This record gives sequence, C-alpha cells and structure tokens, in this order.
Amino acid sequence: MPLRARIALLLGWLLALAGLGLLIAQRLQVSTDLRSFMPAPATPDQRLLMEQVGEGPGSRLLLLAIHGKSDGELAALSQALAARLKGDPRYAQVLNGSFDLAALDPRLLPYRYLLSPTLDHESMDADFLADQLQQRLDDLSSPAASLLKGLLPRDPTLEVLKLAERWAPPKSPQVREGVWFSGQDEALLLVQTVAPGFDPQAQQQAIDGIEQAFHALPGSAGATLAFSGPGYFSVVANAQTRAQADWIGRISTVGFIVLLLFAYRSLSSLLLAALPVASGALAGIAALTLVYPQVHGITLAFGFTLLGVAQEYPIRVLSHRRAGEDAVRSVRALWPLLLTAIASACIAYLAFYASGVNGLKQLAVFTIVGLLAAGFSTRYLLPRLLPARVRDVADARWLIAARRFVDRLPRPRWIPLLVAAAAVLMLALAPGPFWQNDLAALTPLPKDLLQRDARLRASLGAPDIRYLLILQADSADGVLAMSERLEPEADALVARHVADALELPSRYLPSIATQRARQTKLPDQATLQQALAQALQGLPFRHDLFAPFIADVAVARTLAPLTPQAFAGSPLGQRLAAMLVQRDGHWLGLGTVSGLHDAAALQAWAERSGGAVRLLDLKGAAESLVASYRTRILRALGVATLLLVLTISVALRSLRRAWHVLAPMTLATFLVLAVERAMGIEVSLFHLVALILAAGLGLHYALFFERDTGDPAEQRRTLHATLVCVLSALLVFGMLAWASIPVLRAIGLTVSLGVAFHFCLSILMAPHAGQGDA
Amino acid sequence: MLLLGLTLPWQASASAPDDGAALVRALARPAPARTAFAEARFMAVLEQPLVVSGEMAWLGGDKLERRVDKPRRETATIADGEVTQQRDGKKPRSFSLKRAPQLQVLVDSFVALFGADAVRLRQAFTLEHGGDAAAQWTLTLTPRDARVAKTVARIRIDGYGNEPRCMQMEEADGDVAIDLLGPLAAKMPPAPTREALAALCRGG
Repeated sequence: MPLRARIALLLGWLLALAGLGLLIAQRLQVSTDLRSFMPAPATPDQRLLMEQVGEGPGSRLLLLAIHGKSDGELAALSQALAARLKGDPRYAQVLNGSFDLAALDPRLLPYRYLLSPTLDHESMDADFLADQLQQRLDDLSSPAASLLKGLLPRDPTLEVLKLAERWAPPKSPQVREGVWFSGQDEALLLVQTVAPGFDPQAQQQAIDGIEQAFHALPGSAGATLAFSGPGYFSVVANAQTRAQADWIGRISTVGFIVLLLFAYRSLSSLLLAALPVASGALAGIAALTLVYPQVHGITLAFGFTLLGVAQEYPIRVLSHRRAGEDAVRSVRALWPLLLTAIASACIAYLAFYASGVNGLKQLAVFTIVGLLAAGFSTRYLLPRLLPARVRDVADARWLIAARRFVDRLPRPRWIPLLVAAAAVLMLALAPGPFWQNDLAALTPLPKDLLQRDARLRASLGAPDIRYLLILQADSADGVLAMSERLEPEADALVARHVADALELPSRYLPSIATQRARQTKLPDQATLQQALAQALQGLPFRHDLFAPFIADVAVARTLAPLTPQAFAGSPLGQRLAAMLVQRDGHWLGLGTVSGLHDAAALQAWAERSGGAVRLLDLKGAAESLVASYRTRILRALGVATLLLVLTISVALRSLRRAWHVLAPMTLATFLVLAVERAMGIEVSLFHLVALILAAGLGLHYALFFERDTGDPAEQRRTLHATLVCVLSALLVFGMLAWASIPVLRAIGLTVSLGVAFHFCLSILMAPHAGQGDA
Repeated sequence: MLLLGLTLPWQASASAPDDGAALVRALARPAPARTAFAEARFMAVLEQPLVVSGEMAWLGGDKLERRVDKPRRETATIADGEVTQQRDGKKPRSFSLKRAPQLQVLVDSFVALFGADAVRLRQAFTLEHGGDAAAQWTLTLTPRDARVAKTVARIRIDGYGNEPRCMQMEEADGDVAIDLLGPLAAKMPPAPTREALAALCRGG
C-alpha cells in the first residue's frame, strides 16, 4: 500500500475515532446511582429498598464535625456555615443545635396551635392563660428576657418553643455556645441532602458545596471540617477505588508498553496496535449513548474489563507476521480463527442482553459492539497500516527452545480428570459461605472513619441507616393517624432502652383528626378576649399587647388542617416528605431508629402490632437483592455456555475439536473458582465478571493451540502470541491482585489465576503437534 | 483627664495613668464578690416596671450568679458561655450566652470591673468617665461589638468612692433595667419611676 494511501487511511481512522469521541462527549451521561444497575426488585422489601436506597431519611444525612479552634470560634463557624447552607437548594435541612424559630415557615405560624400538643391536655381559658402570663413575667425578669420579649405579643404561651423542642433531634448532643458539641470539643452539624445517599456523584457535589461554603467563611482557616454518613462513605469508597485503580493502571500500562516493545521491537506497530482497542471502546460507548439515555458507571467499569479480550486481536496479528510478508495476507490466514473467537464471545454476551437487567443489557451492548469494532478494525484497517516487517518472531532462538519444551511436555489423558477431581474436592471442603452478598464488603471503609461515624452518630443521636420502621395505610393521613397511635408504644420502647430513639412521621405533623380536635378547643375571639382580660388582672402587661395573639388564634380556628403536601414547602415539611412514600395506591410511613440496642425486642413489637408496623432490615433486603442479581447472571452464564458450545462446534465442524477447545476452558474456570474458594474467598459479582473475562481469554488460548497448521514456524508464532497475551494479562491483572481494595483484588486475582490456568490447561490438553517438532 | 480617657481608649492601663483605669483598679474585688441588688425593669411590653431583688455574685473567672429572691426564687448561673436558669419546681433551662447579648455585656462588665481587668473592659466597651474619682462618679460603657450594640445601647454605672451604687442598662429598643446595688438595694421604692431611681443613684 503506497505511503500516501496509508497516511490517508490512518488520518481517516483517527478522524473517525475523534468523531466517536465527540459524539460521546456530547451525549454520554454517566449515572452513578447504584439503583440503575440493579435488577427489578421482586419482593416488597426489595422494592422498598430500591426506593429507599439513598432516598431514606437516614441515608441522606451527612454528619459534620468542626474542630481545631476554641469553642467560641467553632460555634461561630457552625452558625455561619448553617446560615450559608440553609439557603442552598442542595440541602433539605441543616441542624446545628441552635434553637431556630425560622424552622417554622412564618406563613405557617398560626398552625402552631394545631401542631403543638398543648391543647390536648389544656384548654385556653383564663386559668391557663393566667398561669402562662405569670411565667412570662418571671421570664421577663430573668436573663432570658431579651430572647422572649419579641415572641411575647404573638405567642404568650410559647407554642413555638414547644414545637422547636419537639422537632429537635430526639437525643440531642450537649449544647455549648449555642450549638451542638461532641465530647471531643467538635462543633456538630447535621445536613440532610436533597441528593440520594448512594449516588456518589451527587453526594460529591453536596459535600463540595459544604466544603466551599466552609472555606469561604472568615475564620475557617485553622479549623478542620470532617464528614461522616452514608453519602460521604459512598464518595470515599468511590475515590479510594478510583485512586488505587489509577495508580495501578499507570504502572501496569508502562509495563505493558515495555513488554510489547520488547516483543515486537517496533514503536509504530505498538502505537498502531492500540487503535483497534481504542476503536472498540469508543464504538461501544457511542453505541450505549445512542441506545440509552444514561450509562451506568459500573457498566463502563465492567465493560472496559471485559474489553481487555480485544487487546489479543492486534497482538495475534503482530505475532503471526512473517518476514517480508504483507500484513494483509498474514491476517487473512489468521482471520477464520479470530472471527470464531470474536463471534463466540459476542454470541455468549448476547445472553447478558437477554437477562433483562438494565445494567447487564448495557454491558452486553458495550462489549458486543466493542469486540466487533476492535475485531473488524484489526482485520480490515490495522494490517494496511502496519510497517513492512523484516523480522519473523518464529526465528527467535528462545522461542524455538520454548516451543520444543512445550511440545515435549507429557500430556497424559488423566490430567483433566485429576484437575476436575481436585477442583470438586476444593469446592466441597472450602471454608466459609460460597457467595459474598454484601456489596459494601467489597469497598470497605477505613476503620477510623467507621469509628468516627459511630461516635458522631451516637453523640448526635442520628438514625441508624440499617433499620426502618414501616407503617402502611391507605392515605398519608392514615399513616399519620397510625403513627400517633403508635407513639406511646414507641416512647415506652425507648424508655426500656430498646433503642435510643424511634422517630415516627407524626412527630412532625399530627393527623387531620388531631388537628381538628385541637382546633375545636380554640376559643372564639370574644371568649378568648374575655379570658385574657381576666388573666391579665393584677399583671403589669400592657393591655393591648396581645392583639397579635388574639388574631393568630382567630386565624388558627379557620385554617384547613395542614397536610403533608402543604407542609412540603418548608424545610420541616421536606423532612416529613422523606418519611412518607406513596406506592401502589397506598402510603408508607418510614420511621427511623437511632441507637438500636435490642433488634429482637423491636422486631417482636412490630410483629405484635398485627401488621401495622414492620421492621425493615435494609441490609438484609440488599443482600437478597444481590443474591437474585447473581441468579440472573448465573442463568445468563448458563445460556452463554450453551451458545458458546454451539458456536464453536459449528465453527470447527467437529465435536472432538470443540471438546479440545472447550474442555480446558471450562476446567480452568472451575479450577479458578475452586482455588479461590479454598483460599477462603467468598464469591461476589465482581469475581463472576472476572471469571467471564478470563474464560474469554482462555477461549483464545485454546482455539489457537488447538489449531493444527502442521507448520512448526506458525506454531512458534502461536506460542509467541499467546505468551505475549498471557504475560500482558498477568502484568495488568497481577498488579490489581495486589490492590488493598477487595473489589480490585477480586478482579485482579481471578483474572490472573484464570489466565495462568487457562494457559497451562490449553497446552496440556491440546492435541500433540504431530510432526511439528523440528 | 476625661479627654485623655476618650482619645486613648485602647491604651493599656499601665502605659498611661488615666483616671478610668484608676477607678477600675479601685473597684477590684477578690472573688467571690457578692452584692445585693434590686432591679427595676421598664419595658415597652409592661405598663408598670417589673421589680425583683436578690444577690449577684462574681465567682471568679467568667462565672457569674444572679439569684432572685423576690418575688419568686430563681437562680441564673452564667458559666462557660452557657446560661442556666433554675426555677423552683421546674427543669433547669439552658441557653447560650450568644443568644443573650445583654448578658454577655453583663458578664464582660462585671468580670472586668471586679477583676480590675481594664484591658478586657476596653476591648468590650468604649469607656466614658465622669465625675470625681474620689467621690461621686459615673462610668458609661458602650459596647464596641455592633451585634451586641443592636441589643444593648449602653451601661451606666454610678458610684461613690470605690463602691458602685447603681447599674443602668439601656437596651436599644428603649427598655431600661436599673439595678440598685449593695446597701442601696434596700431603698427600692414599691412603685419606682425612672426619675426616682436616677435621683437615688446620683444622691448619696
């Protein structure tokens, strides 16, 4: 191919890649919300979990601690930070312990008589008012006078303060300098984000917003702001995993380049060989962006892992070139086998598409399009660009020796039986549970973070994120009424130290019936004026001082009861909205549990309630969800295996040859599983995905080793290509196996073991290369 | 002398002998320092002033105690930035000093006066000193902190020799609290007026 045409082709290819890149840059929306990767929930608990993962009142809570300065300065920082965050639409609620009258929307102030429990046991008559006014007089002579002076005309019975007390967290930390402090001299804040707790990207934005607001405060220099809570943890886990993956990725990339340079001694070949994989990746993502509005982050991570198979295609081409031969001709000889490999992988991945899980469908689209693009560009574009080759790897001395060694290896027929028996034995005797259902165990958090979380959670009385109390009724008001009925029982449980606090929705809003009952106890204007006049006798208050009070009571008498919808406009209404969920024509109330000491007692109470309350263990529900997810993957894998057997048998037109390809691959896969289980590893979703990748690589080894060309030089080239592939895979994934983060280690170890086993078994179970021994 | 006190408000007491500083030194008491008080509050929400009496004490450091004996017993303790109110038969109530600037002012002025801490006094207030250092005098304290000044306009202390006799706190909204201190506390009239109390404070 003339130089000019080659340059034009290269430019055209690069331009096409740039076009794909542009398309992706414009359309790609990565979703980090775990839920979009999960299968459709089957049980009611799973459904609730999916709705509640990240949305529940507990999981959107960020715990903040400021330390490193004097109490006074920390308190000022806490106040200033809270003031800044309160106006920000990213945060639903900001609490720092400072008693805040603004918590009740000024428009809603007359509602205080319907919301406060005062009227449940008092009536607003002369006696009650006289007692209240006498107390206010005492307040006025006390140091608190200037605090209450402003409230007095409108709210002489201080209903606003009663509500503020009621709405303060059930177990408040100590208050110093007007704000919460922990026992370790940190100012504490609670921030509820609008973003779901398990959406790391949205949580990152929420946390960044707080950090920025904090550092913009005068006097923040020298003080340290620390975070805790589910949202923060999802951010940390994400960042940790990414940082380690990046670090390992950089090292193994350098190693990979050095290895290829050593293997092929040509920089231009190396650079060109990168193009098919790049094409595959870009085409895969571009296809995703065209088919799906949002691409899940895990799809991309899994997809790139699985696409690692495609790196084999150009390596095979480079190794199988002969001196002086046109690259296009070398590829043509190789293509049937390569096509078999590509086609069988793609057909196998079709099974994932049929799984019905959105995340797996995306994965299938990405890998199938990616593998096809990488494969066909390796076949039709790459060879036309490769420089003329002068050196044939088959002539290398070490390779001749290596091939001879391989050919002399004994290949007894009992090897598969022995390996199979060993695998079965290891699987049978392996310690611990087979499956790892706890996804969180794959991205564990540093111990000090967890300890800090426990400490802050305890001192703030912040709710547990594992348990929820579920109340079910026909309407939101039904939930509130039920919640009111349950409140005394819940209080009794707290008194028995079953939990530090149980927070039910009616804490924030009474039912309509209760509000109506309170409303009817409000006196009419004339009666109230008379009672007030009587109460004021002998007291020094200005006689017209309480006109705003009389006006508010008059308004409160005519108000329509406050509904959750009407309440939702205010910050506290937002808090309530997080506790009320509508689903399938009925309503659920979500109560939170703080500091659970006796889960069994709480469970027993829920069971005694006759279905009114349910205790939902989110961790249990999450694990059952992972288990059902895995079942789907396994089912897809089963179908994929069948498709693979079929494709290979058809492609090779021989069951015997198909056996030689598929047997080592299957055996090696089970051997990896067995060895990992024997090491005490519990198998997670990530292990499964890594096993699939390893199997894909193993398929190539077996296919190429099985190929009987009768040409010793060609067999040496096959060995060369396979060695380069094995070494590069071992390099990349072996590095990952040393990672400290279990999810990276799971992938690294599984693929490394897989590559090693697949390689050895493909050699040992390949048919003897007849006359090939030169 | 008055001019000197006004023009050099930040000067430390040691560096320039101004009579405000001399007065502050003269007022110093060892902790705990206790004094009887009778207070009349003239407030916009009230038609008649509110009168209470009891004992105020500086317990050393930033600790103050204000005990009301009449008409109802109540003890307020100010310590570590927190105010705790204890009323007979009720749960103690606490709130931050930050939320009650007029109390912060009280603490600053009391602690600085009794502890003879002229530096602290000048950090919190601008001082105005009038009268005769040896006999009848008036010390006016105006808060420097703009936030505090929004609530408390000024404090005026009247005294004779090294005895403070009266303390008058003017709030920004026009409400006034006048405390008669020490032996003068016993002379609180049953129906006080601002004028009568002002005369009591001035007169010997």
